[in-house]
Amino acid sequence: MNDYNPISALIIFFGIAILLFLLFRPTKGWFWLLQKNFKSNEKVIIEDILKQLYHFENSGNKVDTRTLVEVLNFKNKRIVEAIKKMSINDLVYFDKDALKLTEEGHEYALRIIRVHRLWERYLADKTGFHKNEWHDRAERMEHKLSHDETNKLASQLGNPKFDPHGDPIPTKTGKIADIEGVELPRLPVNSIARITHIEDEPEVIYKQILAENIHIGSLLKVVENNNTRIVFHSEGEEFVLAPIVASNLTVLPIEKEVVIEENIARLSGLQENEMAEIIGISKESRGESRRRLLDLGFVKGSKIKIDLLNPLGEPHAYLVKGTSIALRKDQASKILIKKSEHAD
Amino acid sequence: MSKKNIEHIIELSNELRWQIGDDFHDNLTEGIYADAANIVRDSVQTEKGKKRFRLDSKIDKIVTSKTFGFPIMFLILGVVLWLTIIGANYPSSMLANLLLDTIHPALKSGASNIGMPWWLDGFLIDGVYLAVAWVIAVMLPPMAIFFPMFTLLEDFGYLPRVAFNLDNLFKKSGAHGKQALTMSMGFGCNAAGIVATRIIDSPRERLIAIITNNFSLCNGRWPTQILIATIFIGAVVPSSFSSVAALLSVIGIAVLGMAFMFLTSWGLSKTVLKGEVSTFNLELPPYRPPRFWRTLYTSLIDRTLIVLWRAIVFAAPAGAVIWLICNIHVSGDVSIAAWLIDSFDGFGWLLGLNGVILLAYIVAIPANEIVIPTILMLTVLATGMSGGEGAGVMFELDSISATGDVLRAGGWTLLTAINLMLFSLLHNPCSTTIYTIYKETKSAKWTAVASILPVILGFIVTFLVAQIWRLF
Repeated sequence: MNDYNPISALIIFFGIAILLFLLFRPTKGWFWLLQKNFKSNEKVIIEDILKQLYHFENSGNKVDTRTLVEVLNFKNKRIVEAIKKMSINDLVYFDKDALKLTEEGHEYALRIIRVHRLWERYLADKTGFHKNEWHDRAERMEHKLSHDETNKLASQLGNPKFDPHGDPIPTKTGKIADIEGVELPRLPVNSIARITHIEDEPEVIYKQILAENIHIGSLLKVVENNNTRIVFHSEGEEFVLAPIVASNLTVLPIEKEVVIEENIARLSGLQENEMAEIIGISKESRGESRRRLLDLGFVKGSKIKIDLLNPLGEPHAYLVKGTSIALRKDQASKILIKKSEHAD
Repeated sequence: MSKKNIEHIIELSNELRWQIGDDFHDNLTEGIYADAANIVRDSVQTEKGKKRFRLDSKIDKIVTSKTFGFPIMFLILGVVLWLTIIGANYPSSMLANLLLDTIHPALKSGASNIGMPWWLDGFLIDGVYLAVAWVIAVMLPPMAIFFPMFTLLEDFGYLPRVAFNLDNLFKKSGAHGKQALTMSMGFGCNAAGIVATRIIDSPRERLIAIITNNFSLCNGRWPTQILIATIFIGAVVPSSFSSVAALLSVIGIAVLGMAFMFLTSWGLSKTVLKGEVSTFNLELPPYRPPRFWRTLYTSLIDRTLIVLWRAIVFAAPAGAVIWLICNIHVSGDVSIAAWLIDSFDGFGWLLGLNGVILLAYIVAIPANEIVIPTILMLTVLATGMSGGEGAGVMFELDSISATGDVLRAGGWTLLTAINLMLFSLLHNPCSTTIYTIYKETKSAKWTAVASILPVILGFIVTFLVAQIWRLF
């Protein structure tokens, strides 16, 4: 029993550990890559092409095979093969160089988009996955759900109109609501608007928007707009974005002279000894947690103040409807309040 | 109603739902609260000028203050644990005296008087009875002390403040502040700690709390830790420091358990539990004087007795198994136990343990309380030394030094002791706890994760410690 060397035992152990890590680490593990490669069959390629064509046509751009190869993450040869097959099946046709969707192809593309957006809605409302994972998970799911499963999912979710980014979800019959509004950089200084859509592609820019803690559905007021930066106030905080980032936000200008509450703030900004009244809960708080907050009395008109400060910085306890309830900072930032002038 | 009509209604409802939009729930809840407020205004009268929450907010300011909050918390937890561990010694030894030293011999002589065959007598009295008696003697007193104290704190309203103070730490590892409470409850009994996770209403955080509860050293494991630390770790320092060294090492193991709890919570929330729904909120109820007798009664009935009953149900067959493997022989003279010990020895040695310890932990899955008696009995059996009570009869020695002598004769070193302490912290939960996890999660998958994850961690940690130890 004593004729072994602890060093070799350790080496074997760490060898196995490293191998397991390489195989199974999240997303980049060899096992997952192999699995993905194995599964990226023709159906996936065709559906991804359809989707890209749909988006390009919607934004009024022409597409040829070369653009597709650049945009999609598949081998050149496989894309060409897929396109050949698609034109045989009457999904696409060539108009000179440009590739276009047939009626049938258009319908198919809408079905894929419907699944994608419904699944994002599902992830947002019924699961705990973080926002920046929704898109990738929906990308994988859109190829898996059948027609019936999709309709079942839709009715379980209550046939929602929009996905969590504000994109309209096509109905069963292919009806699609319009996104109203303009890109944020086109908004003149001093105008007031509501954020109706946050584009989740490209990922780099989307992550930047998430990091800024910008919420869909919130009101904003532009205070500076030039080529280098766009500055706006929203919910008591100031945001500064580069125009390229800001153009991923769609906003709906508010025409009427709404009593725009200059002093709307987030609950997270409330100080000790200040009194406030709740205006509402931001659209960013969804599903179970939103339901729970409503049940606890975080509804429009409730008076609120800080009851206890936390020794470690968060969560603070808030006194609402006579009960002391502790909320973490990220939750408090999704509750909108109007500070009262005088403390009670 | 004709089918066409129904379809029309469904169509209409879908259309209307589309129009109502997303704010429907908000408006409904708002309406309910507005109505409730109206009713309250009409029918409830409040005394004017009476300031509410006065005493409460004063207490709250102290127990959640930056200076006093944490010392108060550690002091209370320390006192509760100290009272439990020290206080339980006396009733435990009385129970052991009664059940093990008085009733057990009496049963044995009674059995021989009525001419019971040796195998039936051994199976029932040395196996089943002894295991049950042991579990009761070791388990009942600490639980009967710990749970009422804990429940009193809970009833008073202090525990939610602990969760409030600590939430930020738990948030960093993806868990809920209330896990501080279920973790502390786990120091009493993991099964009770897992039942207590019902206070966590967010599904993801609750699962984390359930799976990591086993990293709290429970009452069944404290005595093992203290005994082994006293024998082996106390011996390497000058004798005047030996009890301090033993105490510190046991505290070290408990703290290590908390570190593993945080680490595992973090890992779980980042990987397998990522998709579970997470909602946080923590209500801080007003303080109230605890209802002493009622609390005492409910904590004894709801927590202590239920857990004890489950433990007994699982301990009885374990006792039978222990007796059987020592008394059924394979290939001539070798009992199943000796054969198993022999085959586990190689793997055990790799982990810095030995075959006896591994076998003891397998047969003692039903209750951590019987690990030490089983180890002693198996050591005597494996080494063939004199002493002990016979094959399959668990025993404990009166003096700590005599226990140490038996273990050293079994080939134990300081490394074995340290790794046993680590393995006692990091191994599968007892079967009562596993059963409770299943009852609470209703999921075979999470039960399996909760059972297997700690034992894999235990293997890895003891293996690494053993290899590094042998390098020097």
